[in-house]
Formats: sequence, C-alpha cells, structure tokens
Amino acid sequence: MSYSTFNRKHFDSMKEPMFFGENVNVARYDQQKHPIFEKLIEKQLSFFWRPEEVDLSTDRKDFQRLEEHEQHIFLSNLKYQTLLDSVQGRSPNVALLPIVSLPELETWIETWSFSETIHSRSYTHIIRNIVNDPTKIFDDIVTNEEITKRADSVSIYYDRLIEMVNLYNTMGMGTFNVPGKGDIEISMPKLKKALYLTIASVNVLEAIRFYVSFACSFAFAERTLMEGNAKIIKLIARDEALHLTGTQHMLNLMASGKDDPEMAEIAAECQNEVRQIFIEAAEQEKEWATYLFKDGSMIGLNAQILGQYVEYITNVRMQAVGLETCFATKHNPIPWINAWLVSDNVQVAPQEAEISSYLVGQTDNNLDDSDFDDFDL
Amino acid sequence: MTLISKSTNPTKNDKVHRVLLGKKQILVTEDEPLLIQLERAGIHVEYQCREGYCSSCSIKLLWGHVSYPFEPLAWVQSGYLLACCAIVKSDIEIAFFD
Ligand code: FES
Ligand SMILES: [Fe+2]
Ligand SMILES: [Fe+2]
Repeated sequence: MSYSTFNRKHFDSMKEPMFFGENVNVARYDQQKHPIFEKLIEKQLSFFWRPEEVDLSTDRKDFQRLEEHEQHIFLSNLKYQTLLDSVQGRSPNVALLPIVSLPELETWIETWSFSETIHSRSYTHIIRNIVNDPTKIFDDIVTNEEITKRADSVSIYYDRLIEMVNLYNTMGMGTFNVPGKGDIEISMPKLKKALYLTIASVNVLEAIRFYVSFACSFAFAERTLMEGNAKIIKLIARDEALHLTGTQHMLNLMASGKDDPEMAEIAAECQNEVRQIFIEAAEQEKEWATYLFKDGSMIGLNAQILGQYVEYITNVRMQAVGLETCFATKHNPIPWINAWLVSDNVQVAPQEAEISSYLVGQTDNNLDDSDFDDFDL
Repeated sequence: MTLISKSTNPTKNDKVHRVLLGKKQILVTEDEPLLIQLERAGIHVEYQCREGYCSSCSIKLLWGHVSYPFEPLAWVQSGYLLACCAIVKSDIEIAFFD
C-alpha cells in the first residue's frame, strides 16, 4: 500500500483506527473519532511562545561565574536537550504521518512536532547568549560519546519503524532482505508492534529523559542563577507535559482496544518489552546523572539525588500508562521542582492572564520574590 | 504551597467529606480540588500543571466518588483520580504508590 497525499477513496474517517487505516484525505475537524487530539491541538496553540521574548542578559554573567564543573553540568544538559528536540522536531512527522489515519491526530502530530522546533530554537538562543562560539557546543553533540550513546537509544525505535513503513509502502507485505540488515519481515502485526514500541519510547523520552535536564536547570535557578534559562525551560516543560499526555493517550487508547482491537492484543503481548523500555531508560538516565556530576555536584543536587528522582518520575510515568511501578523510590527527593514546573498562570487563576504576557513583548528576566516563596533546598 | 484560595467563593457549599490516606484522615470540602486541600494539610502530592493536562497528580482512588468540573485533558486511569482538578463528592480513600 503506497502512501497518497490525498487519498481518493470514500470512507468514513470516524471508523478508521488511529494508525494503519486509510491515509487521511480531507483535513476536517468538525467531527473527531478521538476529540482529545483536537483538544490537545487547541491547548498547544494557546501555549505558543517565542524564545526571543525571554531576556537572557543576566545569564551570560551568571554563566561566567559558574565553577567549571557547574559549566559542564549546564552545557551537557543543554547538549542533551538539543539532541532530544532535534529528534522530536522531525521524528513524529517522519515516522507517524505516513501511517496516521485520523485528521485530528494527524494535525496533533504536526502541531506537537512544530512546538519541538521552538524548543530547538530556544537552545540556539540560550547558547548564543552564553558562549562566543556556539559551533563548539553543537559539534560536540555528534562527537561526545556520552551524548551519542543517548542519541542511539532515543532514535532506535523511530528508525526501525520508519524503515519498516518504507518497506511496507514500496514492497507491501513479505520478508525482504535489506543489505547490511538482513531479513526484515513486514506484516501488519509486526508494523503495529514497531509502532507501539515507538510510542512507548517517545513517551519515555518526553516524560522521563527530559526531566533530568529540567531538574538541573531549576537547581541553578533555585540559587538565582541562570534564571532566564529557567524561564525558557519552564515554557518547554509546559509543552512537554502536553506532549506526554498525547503519547499516554495513544498508548492507553491502543491498549484499551477501543481504537483497534488488534492493537490491544499487541499491546498486551509487548507489555514486558514496554516495561523494559521504561526501566532501561531510567538506568541510562541515572548513568547520565553520574556523567553530569563526574567533576563535582551542585548545591541541592548530586548524582544520587538525581538518580532517585529518575526512579520516582519513572514510577509516576509507568503508572500513568497502566504499568506496574518498578522502583523503590516512592517519594520525590526534590519536591521543590514542582513549583518550577508549574505554569505561572495557575497562580493567577484565569489562564489568559499569563499567556498574553508571553505573546506581548519581552518577558522580564527578573523573577520577583514571590517566585521563590514556599520552597528551599 | 498556598497558591489559590477561593474561600470567598459565593457558591460555597458546606459539605465536608473525609479523605482517608493510610492512617491519616483529612477533612475536605467541595469548594476546591483535592490537591490544594491535601497540600494545606501538609501532604505532598506530585503535580506539574495543576490544570488537568499532565497526569502528574494521579493518585489511587480506592473507594468513594469524585467529580471533575471540566473534563481533564490527561488520561484518568480507572481506579485513579487527578488531584489537581478532582472535587471530592463523598468520603473517599486514596493511596500513593504501593
Ligand atoms: S497536576 Fe497536571 S494533571 Fe494534575
Ligand atoms: Fe521538546
Ligand atoms: Fe515534546
């Protein structure tokens, strides 16, 4: 079955599954099989922000005053985040658009991926502000072994799915010999399994991997350092919260069988593999924490505490997709992080109040005192 | 955390329910979501968005009834509630991770 950018068949898109049904033809949103994706689109659009609106002028001075091992922590995180958003800015589109079958989900995927490009642009904004030669930092992302290890684990499921869908679209079903890779079997169950595992690994990427960097960014900000960066990370974290809800919905809808009965069987079949994806990612992130703090810790955060946070947040995320939790850490070792992760708007109640401040002109880089109420290290 | 206080809410209703959490018992009203009332009682609950779209505040609802003034964007697993936006409607028992 080859992909068509405008499927000429007549069919009822309300009866299609999320993926591997008909290619979408008319982009219509007056009716939705899964209204949640339409709501996610609206929410994401209401979050729109531009990195340049956040003033980073004091971050430059702060950065110069950081100790060397703190600069290592800060820059390594930034590199890792740049890697993750480079992947996320394209992969949902490349991997999922050729196989999606619902207009509202198709548009959610595009909206989601677009917002990742804003995140990528914000890293350039941050890096430009703190160093004279951004190239050195960007180049290291493809050469630094600790980072490239991460790249392998975040892209492997996407790449496998893309490869299989390419084969499916050009050759159809069957077993095909791909030079350098051997025999690859293409069948609907195999494709669906590759998809399910991909969505799980994306959920892990957005719901666990990112939070390690978030914790470090906010630990600096707790010491009133790199506060412009923290403002940007806050906006990114708000977007990521929505993205992880998107993948949780996909996973839960698939597992429930409400969308595609065959998908429910596959979800049940690979429950163990999915658990393993969560556990492995948590272990990799703990390793990463060790790398971050190899030359010294920072006030309020060290490899051990960050490792516990990884375990805790992994438990939270596993529970959210109906998996049994697997780590002993039942309490958040850095509860102050939540006060940073929360969107400011809830503190003033009506949601429009804050969002408009991001749209109109520059956000003030000076956090006011009330931002620091109620938590300490 | 004391973020929002809606104690001046004119539609205030006086119903009080018990929330059991392990050996603790907390009294809550229907005026505000569960999360903020737990926090006031000194109980730490995980949260991020406080608006129903991130699922961080998901906790087990062992028995009892809650309702949502608006449908949360986050998926609510059966047997769980979203503390940031759930209004407690009866005595309930909740639990964190086992
Ligand atoms: S805090 Fe985000 S759903 Fe409750
Ligand atoms: Fe992102
Ligand atoms: Fe994301």
